[in-house]
Amino acid sequence: MRTLIQRVWQGIVVVAIVATAAFILVRLAPGDPFAMAFENPGITPALRAQWRTAYGLDGSLGEQYVRWLATLLRGDLGWSVSKSQPVAQAIGSALPNTLLLMSVALILGFAIGMLLGALQAARHNRAADHAIGTLTLIGSALPDFWLALVILLVGADWWRLFPVGGASDQLLPLSASAMTVMLDRAKHLVLPVMTLVILIAAAVARQQRAALLERLGADWVRTAAAKGVSPMTAFRRHAWRTALGPVISLGGLALPALVGGAVFVEHVFAWPGMGRLAASAISSRDYHLVVGCVMVGAVMVVLGSTLADVLAQRLDPRAEHPDGDMARNAA
Amino acid sequence: MPRLRPLYLTLMVTLTACGGGRDAKPSASPATGGTLVISAPGEPDNLMPPITTATAGQQVEELVFQRLATVGPGLNTVGDAGFTGDLARRWSWAADSLSIVFELDPLAHWHDGTPVRAADVVFSFALYKDPKTGAPAAAELSAVDSVTARDSLTAVAWFHRRTPGQFFDAAMLVMILPSHLLSTVDHSTLASAAFARSPVGSGPFRFVKWVSGQSLELAADTARRRAQLDRVVYTVAPDPVTAYTRVATGEADLYESVRPDKVAEVVSNKQLRLLIAPALEYNYVGFNLVDPVSGKPHAIFSDRTVRRALTMATDRRSIVANVYDTLAVPARGPFTSAQASADTTLAMLPYSVDSANALLDAAGWKRGPDSLRRKNGKLLTFGILVPTSSTPRVRAAVLLQEQFRRVGADAKIESSDIGGFIGRLKARRFDTVIGGWSQDGGPANARDAWSSAAAAKGGNNQGGYRSPAFDAQLDSALAALSPAASHAHFAAAWRIITADAPAIWLAEPRLVMGINARFVTTGMRPDAWWAGIPRWSVPPDKRIARDAAGAVR
Repeated sequence: MRTLIQRVWQGIVVVAIVATAAFILVRLAPGDPFAMAFENPGITPALRAQWRTAYGLDGSLGEQYVRWLATLLRGDLGWSVSKSQPVAQAIGSALPNTLLLMSVALILGFAIGMLLGALQAARHNRAADHAIGTLTLIGSALPDFWLALVILLVGADWWRLFPVGGASDQLLPLSASAMTVMLDRAKHLVLPVMTLVILIAAAVARQQRAALLERLGADWVRTAAAKGVSPMTAFRRHAWRTALGPVISLGGLALPALVGGAVFVEHVFAWPGMGRLAASAISSRDYHLVVGCVMVGAVMVVLGSTLADVLAQRLDPRAEHPDGDMARNAA
Repeated sequence: MPRLRPLYLTLMVTLTACGGGRDAKPSASPATGGTLVISAPGEPDNLMPPITTATAGQQVEELVFQRLATVGPGLNTVGDAGFTGDLARRWSWAADSLSIVFELDPLAHWHDGTPVRAADVVFSFALYKDPKTGAPAAAELSAVDSVTARDSLTAVAWFHRRTPGQFFDAAMLVMILPSHLLSTVDHSTLASAAFARSPVGSGPFRFVKWVSGQSLELAADTARRRAQLDRVVYTVAPDPVTAYTRVATGEADLYESVRPDKVAEVVSNKQLRLLIAPALEYNYVGFNLVDPVSGKPHAIFSDRTVRRALTMATDRRSIVANVYDTLAVPARGPFTSAQASADTTLAMLPYSVDSANALLDAAGWKRGPDSLRRKNGKLLTFGILVPTSSTPRVRAAVLLQEQFRRVGADAKIESSDIGGFIGRLKARRFDTVIGGWSQDGGPANARDAWSSAAAAKGGNNQGGYRSPAFDAQLDSALAALSPAASHAHFAAAWRIITADAPAIWLAEPRLVMGINARFVTTGMRPDAWWAGIPRWSVPPDKRIARDAAGAVR
């Protein structure tokens, strides 16, 4: 319990530091939320000053920070200048889309990656290992925006199997059945999910393979085999389970993407999620929206790393002991 | 790119008596129907006309709201010649030209069913002019003293003084808003009003829904001024490849910024049609005549000879051909050829590397062993600021760098995201910049961008070019009451600024759109192609499934 309270406090401190850093850094970047209005000569410096005051962006950095903190303590993330709506509302409309996209992609990506990694380890130094290794190396090396564009062109333009982008067909009639709506959402998910799965699975497979190969050579696996445990059981119970640690850590690190989204993939597939929202907020210097997105991301990093630690301890009790293997061997 | 406000040309046509307006009659047609899906790169900032700054928002507002009258395809802004009635079915001038009486269409109504009345016009002008509103157009309404309601269907605009563009000010700058929905909203918080995201207008299309980050839908208002199309749907795709692919695959019908490398593809696609129209935009390489650090005259570009030399070292034709293919022409000056103020016979500084070299030699910039030039030990080196968001400008910067190198100048490309680019432009922290102006046709666009007044802090003349002679010619052109006199003054102004070379006038890109071939398009004004959408149509035999009207999810 004490550890949990400690982790919560640590989390609050981390989020506060990150939010403050984002608050300061985004204001240090050139431009401001009304920079685009600079394009209109009718918008005089006096008018811009009036807008800054109206949106609480006047005064020194310290004054703005105090004002922002006061607003935050009232549970208000501020006003998004570029979206003309409260930051919470802008995040609220993007978050479900990202959760859907990233949860499907992460689940599939990790499942496929773990299977491929296990297969490689089981077929170590054989043709399957080399073939999958080459593919995962390519998958890891591909730039996400390039892969997204290729998949978009092939799947949506050349073969025309799936929609070009968006989260749903905006022309679907009101009379469409629930099944039609679900199928439509699924069709829109295919290409962005495929892109993300390739990227995630490649990274996970390489991690899983390395961890498994290390465990397969461990003393306890050899002992189990010597005791007559079948190779499959030794692989599954004694090697694979303990090799999940690094993958779970990777999962913990990937968890923030669940709400942070994938900027390039969301951009290419016009997916209205958090990644696109954050990127657009940064480019339009929408200060409050940037900080809001960063805060949501920071909260997820804290939650993700905590969850990963808990899971790792559950799956590998040695993680609870600072001296791990040695403590067990001595026993 | 900066959008310059419209300014009001030359000749004051008959300012006395007599309404020039025509009755605003709906264009009835039995062949109504069809859905236009526009693949848009962005979505509106808001849909509150006085404070909307994004082009996407202005496009939507043009379809949802009405003005008193609209400018004609010739973009005349002097007097009322060429204007057609919109909310006003006719108008008449007072004998002293200090007031204009607008008679409203008695059948006009808001999309919630409430009739549009003169009180709405009075309210709208007051809203735009209220400093608390923060409307960019407020400054341009300075000549309008007030607007009163003579009766429920007659609004009178009163002016402080006669100006060539007073009709334009009253008719075009203010979109008429429903007072019954907005009178209780605090003018300083208009952006946060619910109306800003679900507006109620009186235009040819009514607002249906806005799904944040995804789409915005409008439906034809069938009660009075029936648009030919049933629906207009904007779908948002920030990536240009995705936005174009939506049109290429038939998911959308129109993309307004087809890139040169996609033109051949559009032409070869039987489902698509290429629309090329003149645009009111020009790009330029602006020199900063003031040192960004010390505030003193710039060590290189305060010298007119150097600016002329670099202008002559620039092969604009090859740059335009490489960057835009045939989709742009070299710009001649701080204007576009579609504008009334244009002088297409203006003699430009010729492209001549030899002359450029001679000028630089004469200015004391001598070549060193590395073939770069130096003067008093200082290298001829400078930055070219360019926004990464504009591929054509980035490409132009690369070509310019090479062309400058040929005359011994070492140019360094300084790419910046749009926020940083504008930030540096505002702070005037650049040596040269590849900028662009998107204008709306008014002759005073040049004054807004290149006059001495605009060189003051916060102004748009970031390079700091100041020429009393140029200013005087521009002022004379804008005050002239005869088109010939105005044109002569403009021509003189262009000669002065071309000779002074505060910028290299680079290119006039054209508007290149890809549209589904089933649409019949008409009425595309150079300043706002979307203004003609209510008159676009789809012949019944060419309609597809989505052309069937119906509410969408």
